[in-house]
Amino acid sequence: MTVIALTEDQRDALQEITNIAMGRAGALLAQLMGSFVHLSVPGISLADASNISGTIAQTVGRELAVTAVRQSFSGTLRGEAMVIYDERGCRNLADLMGYEDEVGQATERELLLDVGNVLVGACLNGIADLLVSPLSYSPPTIIAENAEVDRLINPDQLTWDYALLIQVRFTLEIRDFTCHLLTLMPEESISQLKKALDAFMESI
Amino acid sequence: MLETLRNFIVSEIGVGIFALDREYNLLLWNRFMADHSGISAEQAIGRNLFELFPDLPQKWLSKKVDSVFMLHNFAFTSWEQRPWLFPFRHNRPITGGIDFMQQNCTFMPVREADGEVSAVAVTVNDVTDVAVYQSMLKQAMAKLEESSSRDGLTGVYNRRFTETRLLEEIGRVERYQAETFSVILLDLDHFKQINDTHGHLGGDEVLCEVVARVRDVLRDTDVFGRYGGEEFLLMLPQTGREGAVAAAERIRKAIAAAPILYNEVPIHATGSLGVATYEVGAPKVERVKAQADLALYASKRAGRNRVTFYSAQMVDKELGAG
Repeated sequence: MTVIALTEDQRDALQEITNIAMGRAGALLAQLMGSFVHLSVPGISLADASNISGTIAQTVGRELAVTAVRQSFSGTLRGEAMVIYDERGCRNLADLMGYEDEVGQATERELLLDVGNVLVGACLNGIADLLVSPLSYSPPTIIAENAEVDRLINPDQLTWDYALLIQVRFTLEIRDFTCHLLTLMPEESISQLKKALDAFMESI
Repeated sequence: MLETLRNFIVSEIGVGIFALDREYNLLLWNRFMADHSGISAEQAIGRNLFELFPDLPQKWLSKKVDSVFMLHNFAFTSWEQRPWLFPFRHNRPITGGIDFMQQNCTFMPVREADGEVSAVAVTVNDVTDVAVYQSMLKQAMAKLEESSSRDGLTGVYNRRFTETRLLEEIGRVERYQAETFSVILLDLDHFKQINDTHGHLGGDEVLCEVVARVRDVLRDTDVFGRYGGEEFLLMLPQTGREGAVAAAERIRKAIAAAPILYNEVPIHATGSLGVATYEVGAPKVERVKAQADLALYASKRAGRNRVTFYSAQMVDKELGAG
């Protein structure tokens, strides 16, 4: 626990970096979608594997049913990102993402993947750029459709004890759209992150 | 040497690779793309992608490419949502059963030393085999599900599946304020006697023939399940009292219409039916079933071979009688 916990300086630096990154991400997303995207101040915490579902439910709220897309990223930093939509999904954003036809079931899934991919990329690339550790991404996949929040992660299958959780909420007020981005980095990635944060602090 | 090696790999690898600039002009077009499209690298490079392939979904695809330039991000397309971007032939013309090569595409930012994205590199993976296997798997799963939801003797749904459908229908009615449904319980009269007189094979023949006759008078949307030995449950979606009683009456008549022949011996079979309509706002599957059961019991007591609709007085009557 002491090994993976960030020092106060590292924590401040990470908060600062994520703040800057989300600011950039918001501007870029607005440019891409032609609509202002509001991002909350990122919440950073250390998540305990034994209570991860509770932590997610607390962050996201216990909505009736959620739909979630996951994507893994790798580079010096590794982990998984999840975009969690409420029961309305993201149908409202179809035209902003260049969809012209009526949104059927296959299209709706593709749209969930497209929106998730763009949000994950915009936010994580901002962080990765500041930390000078470029990332690669796996294709996004849908992990839950209209499922309970508790079902998103199966606690019996976890191979880590602690993970760093960065959480951001997106809203597009004019489209009545909201979703959450959760980025989870397991222990072994946290030591890499700490090195990168130290290097970042030295560089400024 | 390394340069030669790189060029060789990009050219010869069994994956489509091409690259675009910000105006969607082609910067690279490898052999896979050339072979499958019939457009050579010389013809393609420098040309606009959307001019070469006017059928591409331009608005959506250009947005995708833009997002890679803008966000320095990866982007993807998957055959499961969008089977293909380029109408390429696949290598299973005989066994495929699929129109075009199924494709997974990855869009990657090509970053310069200053961090800016100078191009978007796209890989096109042929995943036709995966798609074929997946569709085979789906068919097998569907068959398995079908066989696990059917009654072995009569081929109608089994009890477990019928219960599931009842629950789903209650969910549908409650959630979407859809029109309510009705339940018919059908019990063959004196079935034990039929078994005793004609043997179990004779009884089985009667069950199968009754099922065939009932099926003839049902709608496609009605759910018909075997509930116990000679008891059946029917769920009639979007059907109120009047429609359900009429359907039950058709079923009764169809069963009794003519004797069933078993080894050229006529067997006279009749059925008693109880009908109840699901009351919206009381989302308990037990309730509507219990009501249909009371109505069925009333049919039996009144002399069998008849249809009874549930009424609230039955509860008192049965309690009094019991």
